[in-house]
Amino acid sequence: MTPSKSRREVLLGAAALAGAASLPRMASAQAKGRIVVGTWGGDYARLLNKNIEAPLLIKNGWEVVQDQAGDPERRSKMLAEMRLPRGTTDVQGLSAINMFQMHDAGSVLPIDYGKLKNAGNLLPSMKYPYGVGHIYSGKVGVYNPKLITTAPVSYKDVFDPKQGNKVGIIDIQYQYTLVCAALAAGGKVDDLEPGKKLLLECKKAGMRIYPTNEAFAQGLKSEEFGLGVMWKARVVQWQNAGISVTSMTPTEGALAYVSGFVVPKNSPNKEGAYAYLDAMLDKSAQEAFAVDMGYNPTVTNAEVAPDLNKRIGFTPDEIKKLVDLDYNYLNKNDVALKEWWDKELKG
Amino acid sequence: MAATAQTQFQSDEAPTPLLSATTLVGPATVFVVAGLLLPLAILFRYSFDKVDARRIMIDTFSFDNYVKFFSDPYYTGVLATTLRVAALCTVICLAMGLPLAYVLARTQSRYKNVLIMLVVLPLFVGNAVRAAGWMTLFGSKGFLNVTLMQIGIIAQPLQIMYTEGAVIAGIIAVNLPYMVLTLQSVIEGINRNVEEAAFSLGAGPATMFRRVLLPLSLPGILAGTILTFILGMNAYATPVLLGGPKFKMMGPLVYGQFQLNNWPFGASVAFILMTATLTLTATANILIQRRFRR
Repeated sequence: MTPSKSRREVLLGAAALAGAASLPRMASAQAKGRIVVGTWGGDYARLLNKNIEAPLLIKNGWEVVQDQAGDPERRSKMLAEMRLPRGTTDVQGLSAINMFQMHDAGSVLPIDYGKLKNAGNLLPSMKYPYGVGHIYSGKVGVYNPKLITTAPVSYKDVFDPKQGNKVGIIDIQYQYTLVCAALAAGGKVDDLEPGKKLLLECKKAGMRIYPTNEAFAQGLKSEEFGLGVMWKARVVQWQNAGISVTSMTPTEGALAYVSGFVVPKNSPNKEGAYAYLDAMLDKSAQEAFAVDMGYNPTVTNAEVAPDLNKRIGFTPDEIKKLVDLDYNYLNKNDVALKEWWDKELKG
Repeated sequence: MAATAQTQFQSDEAPTPLLSATTLVGPATVFVVAGLLLPLAILFRYSFDKVDARRIMIDTFSFDNYVKFFSDPYYTGVLATTLRVAALCTVICLAMGLPLAYVLARTQSRYKNVLIMLVVLPLFVGNAVRAAGWMTLFGSKGFLNVTLMQIGIIAQPLQIMYTEGAVIAGIIAVNLPYMVLTLQSVIEGINRNVEEAAFSLGAGPATMFRRVLLPLSLPGILAGTILTFILGMNAYATPVLLGGPKFKMMGPLVYGQFQLNNWPFGASVAFILMTATLTLTATANILIQRRFRR
């Protein structure tokens, strides 16, 4: 006679069976380990998950965790963690200038492109020794054709004191705005003095300063002003939102904006970090970012539909003329430039 | 036997008072020391360091950051603006909050709790969201300007956004509930009979307020003004969103320095802000208490 089981024993047994049944699945989800990704929040984080993490990493057995914060906070964290043998993130998403800054501070690993199977497709200009370019766009002229009847063709046309209060600039984009103005005034990426002078003239003529990209878009929408500079990708998003705005690639060459990823020296999972970099360069992920975000792919094998390419892309000539910031110059002079911006231009 | 019973009684009623006090204040003390005082001490040390583009800062001991702040009219101007805005907001909150708190404290209405909830309602929304609402109201094509233009009072939209006035309005909206709630709880504790005694002795409403209500509600006024002033001095979201890029207060200035990776100067600005707030609050507290003790 077998002893009869109590209800509690039966339930315990069922729970144990259910637990055992789920074990292989859990094990498979973490079979390759965890990748911790430092990134901005919002749309970019959502699209990283949608276009890279879910289809190319999680599906293949990686566990991916996003550490979302603004880039100043994440850079501070990287520097604060530098002395630790084991950091808390495996890859960090940063703009090109901030990738350089972290490299200059000695906190990131040199990239071994031999470990990336998609590296062969990467544009040479996106192969930084210390980081990998993920997406790029260019700083183009933007104008509302209703308010600006003569189409501008250059940064010089945008930063023209004659335009008075029809010109708007963005406070948080002080570095790029200073360089655009310098190019307009005949300066160089490492000689911003002519740009400072020109900006002061524009300010005197009534140029408006908006705190954020969103406030700038709101000003464009409400027709407070009609002329400025912005990333081409963002212009596409504004056009999609119904704002009357047209973009032009300046004759001086558009300033390039590159967003990429670096690997902290003390990344706990370097293999995972390389898997992430490789996945982000995957053709499908790059194409999806072009569609979803309006930024250009950094790999040559990504196919962008001709109508979309016309709106977000650049011609081969324009690509040749893209102007890169002088990261070293900006990094060394950042505090002084911001002080000038706050005290002289905004003050 | 009586002595034994007394010993037993004493040990039951007052067990190891030292241990009890430690248990009560221990967790909060550990939290404050580890979460506030220790980081503040580290930050204070940073304020004497020197900024460096590569390593963020270089260990040194110099007063350069403090000298830079006080010798530059731009930074002292930011401090002056912050003091002015915080003081104005505090005075306006007190002027508007005192009558409202008095009515709330004295009302016999069965809707009293609803009225108190209405005062607290603005705190249910975050500062940034509330400021976004103000932006919709104050914008050049916002509700206020469109209404004024449609009824023909103005021909061109008024520039309300990105002005000190917009920041003051925004901060008052945030701080007023704190002032009202603090005052209301104190006024509620003042016996209504003392007011009636003043009236029966021939005092008018103004005299009763000045001689009876004001001195008795002084602890509430002090607590409310201190709270409002501190919140005003440290405001961040409202000045950034409603003041715009040209308007600077100390809170955004501190954060801006950390964004620039200029930790030493950011730390020194943070300590200047904290010292100014503490000094002014303590001084006002002492002066007002002395004035009313006479």
